[in-house]
Amino acid sequence: MGTEAKKTGIAGIKKPLFMVALVALLFFSLITAMIWGAVAIGWRSIFTILFDALPVYDSPAITDVTPVYRDILLQIRLPRVLLAAVVGSSLAVAGAVFQGLFRNPMADPYVIGISSGAALGAVIAMLGGFSLTLGGFGAVPLFAFAGGLTTMIIVYSMARVGRAVPVMTLLLAGIAVSAFLSALVSLLTYFAGERLHMVVFWMMGGLGGATWRQVSVMIPYALAGYLCVSFFSRELNAMLLGEETASHLGVNTEKVKKILLVGASLLVAAAVSTSGIIGFVGLVVPHFVRLVAGPDHRFLIPASALLGASLLIATDTLARIVIAPSELPVGIITALIGAPLFIYLLKKRRKLRYFGGGG
Amino acid sequence: MGLNIDVQGLKFTYDAHPVLDATEFVVQHGDLVALLGANGAGKSTLLRCISRILKPTGGHILLDGSELQQLSSKEAARLMAVVPQETAADFDFTVEEIVMMGRFPYLKRFQKEEQQDRDLVKWSMEMTGVSHLAHRSIAALSGGEKQRVIMARAVCQQPEVLILDEPTANLDIGYQSMLLELAARLNRDYGVTVIAAIHDINLAVHHFNRFILLSGGRVLATGRAEEVITAENIQMSYGVPASTYRHPLHGVLQISVARRQPRGVCNNDERAIHVIGGGEEALPTLELLNQKCCRLSVGPVSAQDSSCRFAHFNGFPVIIVPPFTTMSSEHREEHLKLMRSAEAVVIPPIPFGEGNLAVVAEVGTVLKEGKAVYIIDLEGVEGRDYSGKAFPLIQNLVGEGAVALKNSGELLKVIFPDGDEEDERKS
Repeated sequence: MGTEAKKTGIAGIKKPLFMVALVALLFFSLITAMIWGAVAIGWRSIFTILFDALPVYDSPAITDVTPVYRDILLQIRLPRVLLAAVVGSSLAVAGAVFQGLFRNPMADPYVIGISSGAALGAVIAMLGGFSLTLGGFGAVPLFAFAGGLTTMIIVYSMARVGRAVPVMTLLLAGIAVSAFLSALVSLLTYFAGERLHMVVFWMMGGLGGATWRQVSVMIPYALAGYLCVSFFSRELNAMLLGEETASHLGVNTEKVKKILLVGASLLVAAAVSTSGIIGFVGLVVPHFVRLVAGPDHRFLIPASALLGASLLIATDTLARIVIAPSELPVGIITALIGAPLFIYLLKKRRKLRYFGGGG
Repeated sequence: MGLNIDVQGLKFTYDAHPVLDATEFVVQHGDLVALLGANGAGKSTLLRCISRILKPTGGHILLDGSELQQLSSKEAARLMAVVPQETAADFDFTVEEIVMMGRFPYLKRFQKEEQQDRDLVKWSMEMTGVSHLAHRSIAALSGGEKQRVIMARAVCQQPEVLILDEPTANLDIGYQSMLLELAARLNRDYGVTVIAAIHDINLAVHHFNRFILLSGGRVLATGRAEEVITAENIQMSYGVPASTYRHPLHGVLQISVARRQPRGVCNNDERAIHVIGGGEEALPTLELLNQKCCRLSVGPVSAQDSSCRFAHFNGFPVIIVPPFTTMSSEHREEHLKLMRSAEAVVIPPIPFGEGNLAVVAEVGTVLKEGKAVYIIDLEGVEGRDYSGKAFPLIQNLVGEGAVALKNSGELLKVIFPDGDEEDERKS
């Protein structure tokens, strides 16, 4: 290990550097996503509109900007970009939590069946044609949210043995329930008739039609889930060594598991209900961060949030411009980009550093 | 430092099967205790109850008089550290990060590790000899290194009680004693109470000074090695015949499990051989003949002689004489009788002193009567002759018809000229 000393030398500044890079990347993707679209808006105009929109400042240059640009940016593009950021970071953080909690590199935000539960809820809402709205939301997101959380509760109670919930049982119960619900979704889809394209489109995931309303509801959920999870990142580190070891180190494992499950499930259910099932963000992002900066969740969680936000903003921008003025479901883009990237990482590093190859 | 652990009527049932059944013992603070017992005796279950992984179905565990279950997770972790048999290490934490996790029970939420914590991590790594690995990934370490890192984490936890659950099961002999020596040092220098489940009794005896023997979920014996590790206790808890002896180099109590050969496979009971005993040098010859299932007899030896222990262990007749004396006439008669009833007499490569001269003379007596006598390593006798008189005597024996052999392998060829085929036919 001749490179050991060198590795130690840069280890100290590696994480802060990485964090700065992630923040810069997020900023860059935010601006780019606002510039690009069916109608391109210059970056000067964007800053003018944004600053003018601030309640405390009126930009003198606002008169030079076409009013329709102002509406496109503030009413369509900005909420969509922000929603992408919040959904992307929620999925990435939830992915990191589930991978850590299950000590399984294959875990993603949907591993315990929240996606199939949400999908079932959404499909029922679509086929039922319910016209119910609550707090400005239609039946589909409400049903999806309820479906996701209900599934989490069912899986959790199925996996419970006495007072304890062994993570392996949880994983297996999640897979079984997920398979059952997916079958139900397929069954309903089969009878969807003319609503078929609506169902399929929802399940591919997309951020089209994002509103400020969605953003304002999503942010408290995301914030609550994120805080909940980051409160317990030191515990999550200990849990990586196994539940018994964590318990020996003074972690109240059952309590921590419950809190982390609820936190991550909130993140996922909220994300799924606003934007459908967007795959790969939650799987790839935490792995990528671990490859660069190691498994410490105190760093992994915030870094995953930043990278997940940037990634979904970028892929959503692509989804908007590839076949503009029409658009692709973003779930297709994330999978198309995420899967090869993942395989590349896998081949390049031979192992995902998280699970060190049984060394 | 150090806590009293008082286990009272502890019960644990797994799927209606009692694993611990009214287990009771007391560990005083500062004790260095080895927990012994066969597989399934309940060692791990007991330790897992003490380390709060399992919740006992009955009974109490008291730490300095207060109920263990009443403590919060962090309080318990400040009192107790655990080194398990193996730690999953399939992730990329550095050694330093792993050791720092030992500070978890002392840190408040969002509290940063302070200089004091970093100093403790450094000290723990120095103490366990893993400082040079500090920035390596735990996943890249060998089993022995990994276990020392886990030990460093336990040290960093500043526990009053250290629990080790078969910590050496996957280690080579070097790491085994290094790890147990470390535990003993923590006990000696810092007063940490140590309880360790250990499979290897002989290893345990070297490092521990108190022993608890579990059998069927109950405490069969507790106390010093001499009180706990007896042939009867081992037979009862492990179900194998065993015998105890003193280690020739360290003098500590050791145990050896008897080997039982299926008598039907090799039956040479009719072949009676007498071996002149004396010291460890006779053992290879004795063992070789024993494997052929000869009806051996040994003598004359003193009671502390290894040949004597061998004879006792295998149930062979042996002439025992008091040490540092010449033989009395009764012993002499007895010895002659044994030699006469054997088909052959073997003199293995033993040392000769004034005391043996009479024995050599007696061998001469039975040789004259026509008994077959085999002398192993005749050339070496001069070097082993501390009396200066034995070598000529033995040369005389050869002159009178005793057979000189190079080694005990040749002896087998002479005694069992067609031994191998015979064995095959019988099996």
